[in-house]
Amino acid sequence: MEISCKKTWCLEELHAMTYSFKHKNKIYKLSFEDEGDRLVVELEGSKKPIEYKKIDDYLYSIIISGKSHSLAVLKKGKEIQIFFQGNLFNFETVSEIEQARGGHAASGANQISAPMPSRIVKVLKEKGAQVEQGEGVIVVEAMKMESELKSPLSGTIKEIKVSEGDTVEGGEILVLLSAD
Amino acid sequence: MFKKVLIANRGEIAVRIIRACKELGISTVAVYSDADRKSLHVLLADEAYHIGPPLPSESYLVKEKIIEAAKKSGAEAIHPGFGFLSENDSFADLCEKEGIVFIGPTAEAIKLMGDKITAKKIAQQAKVPLVSGSDGAVTDVEASVVAEKIGYPVMIKASAGGGGKGMRLVRNKDDFESLLRMARSEARSAFGDDSVYVEKFVENPRHIEIQIIADSHGKVLHLFERECSIQRRHQKVIEEAPSAAISAKTRKKMGEVAVKIASAVNYRGAGTVEFIMDQKQNFYFLEMNTRIQVEHPVTEMITGLDIVKWMIKIAAGEKLPFKQNNIHMSGHALECRVYAEDPEANFIPSPGILEYVKLPSGPGIRDDSCIYSGYEVTSYYDPMLSKLIVWGETRDDAINKMLSALREYIVLGVKTNIGFLIRVMKDENFKKVNFDTGFIEKYPQLLSPTSEELDLPLIAAGLAIETMDAQNNNKSSKPNSKWKSHARKLGVSRNYML
Repeated sequence: MEISCKKTWCLEELHAMTYSFKHKNKIYKLSFEDEGDRLVVELEGSKKPIEYKKIDDYLYSIIISGKSHSLAVLKKGKEIQIFFQGNLFNFETVSEIEQARGGHAASGANQISAPMPSRIVKVLKEKGAQVEQGEGVIVVEAMKMESELKSPLSGTIKEIKVSEGDTVEGGEILVLLSAD
Repeated sequence: MFKKVLIANRGEIAVRIIRACKELGISTVAVYSDADRKSLHVLLADEAYHIGPPLPSESYLVKEKIIEAAKKSGAEAIHPGFGFLSENDSFADLCEKEGIVFIGPTAEAIKLMGDKITAKKIAQQAKVPLVSGSDGAVTDVEASVVAEKIGYPVMIKASAGGGGKGMRLVRNKDDFESLLRMARSEARSAFGDDSVYVEKFVENPRHIEIQIIADSHGKVLHLFERECSIQRRHQKVIEEAPSAAISAKTRKKMGEVAVKIASAVNYRGAGTVEFIMDQKQNFYFLEMNTRIQVEHPVTEMITGLDIVKWMIKIAAGEKLPFKQNNIHMSGHALECRVYAEDPEANFIPSPGILEYVKLPSGPGIRDDSCIYSGYEVTSYYDPMLSKLIVWGETRDDAINKMLSALREYIVLGVKTNIGFLIRVMKDENFKKVNFDTGFIEKYPQLLSPTSEELDLPLIAAGLAIETMDAQNNNKSSKPNSKWKSHARKLGVSRNYML
């Protein structure tokens, strides 16, 4: 087993892992710190030791200060759906790079989102491709009807978040664009 | 008794009826559209027949297709459930002509009660209280005379009405003339007809209904009331039995009135007489539903009677073996309708695949549902996923039980109203029976989760990525390597550093 020097160095440096999630246009940061025998989570400035087990493909059991919680988690690409106490929360994972750019992923006109729950039938453009305003980018199917989602601007495809066959939520962001 | 029954429905009610048939030793026949091949009613029935495309108008509503399936399978009777063909008198007629028993009332009774004006006339003849008002459309002069007679506040309603258009609430005489003019002009532009009628306005109304059960030998009984005042978009969401808002005296009177209405149309089978009730327990006839009701389980829980089984037995000619004073109620039952919908977006349906489902259980908890992990909610049908019903010794017990059951419920993949239902169960006004049909509009804060509920979901989201990273690394490494124990750390460092 070859653990390189570089990786060992990472192990030393990065004993805390930070994650960022976007929920209703607000970004939340949390970090996990592995203290050997326990895991400590830091969220909004407060630290708590937690213990968890994955029960099946979706269900997580989390114990925090003796309190037991069950949450169900569904990952769809960058979207994470959490079901907790009757409520469904949709998070978007935000990478360090996106965050460094100010997390502008959802700022209105430079994106294409699903108008309703639908299935991706065809992705017409590739990442990096040039598009004209009004040009079709993605074909979705909802209620047995196909419709073409068009680019709101002339520019470049920055990111395509879905692939053919994916099921998406209404409002889910499918494509990020940057204007010329 | 029948040997084979066809269930002309889908979803949870089809499942409910299939179960009742099985318990009676009756063979079951399901029908299904293209969208329902994988639905629970098809999986549970003894036989299943395809009846066409997903659109109800091309499958579940096509009488001939249902009759054809009944004949092919040799079913002697058809249970229509609710919705679809359940209140279609010509379907009941057709069944009779084809020699198939329609499990429900006569076509005549369905027809009489189906027409709202006829139904009101029947109620009037039976001396059942109606919301007082004008006898149909009125002139301006007649309108003010009627308003004066019945007393303010009154409602002016468009005869061709619907959707709240051409409707005006008048609280005092001085405003009557101008509001009448507005109602008329609105009605004219909306419906091309400016005729209006006047009705007494019922303040803060509650929706109370009486369950009727009648055999074909002239016995008509009631199984007490249900309260269904918690509604959204004029549809019931939470129901309970008994109502905590009525006295024993009102209950008795209402039951007697309902029996009178049902008797007037020679009713047979299960039916529901709906009333609107004011805060002083004055009640008025609304309409009669000539079918099994969605919320029938709460009545079953407090009376111990199986209404669906009785419908089948009555259709087979059996007599009701008990009298009114043999029927007792005990404890309190609540029902919450679990929908795939978004309470934060005006309860818009949320179709999709239920990736993961966990149903609650425990003593006194009944989940009438048709869902499972992998089930798809389509846009073709009502997005109701389940009816969660609980029974408790008291109303408070029932609320606590419902709360605990709702918290056990897990549905991943689509939006549901479960969180909203939990917030209603915790609401002080709901607990204190302090509500009317305007409850949901009055407390919009119940529609959204509170902000502090976000911490644990965020932690779970983080853990999900972490375990996923660890798993990915496990897959790519040799078993029992030291790498494995550090997989999570390395996985994350790889994703975020390299």
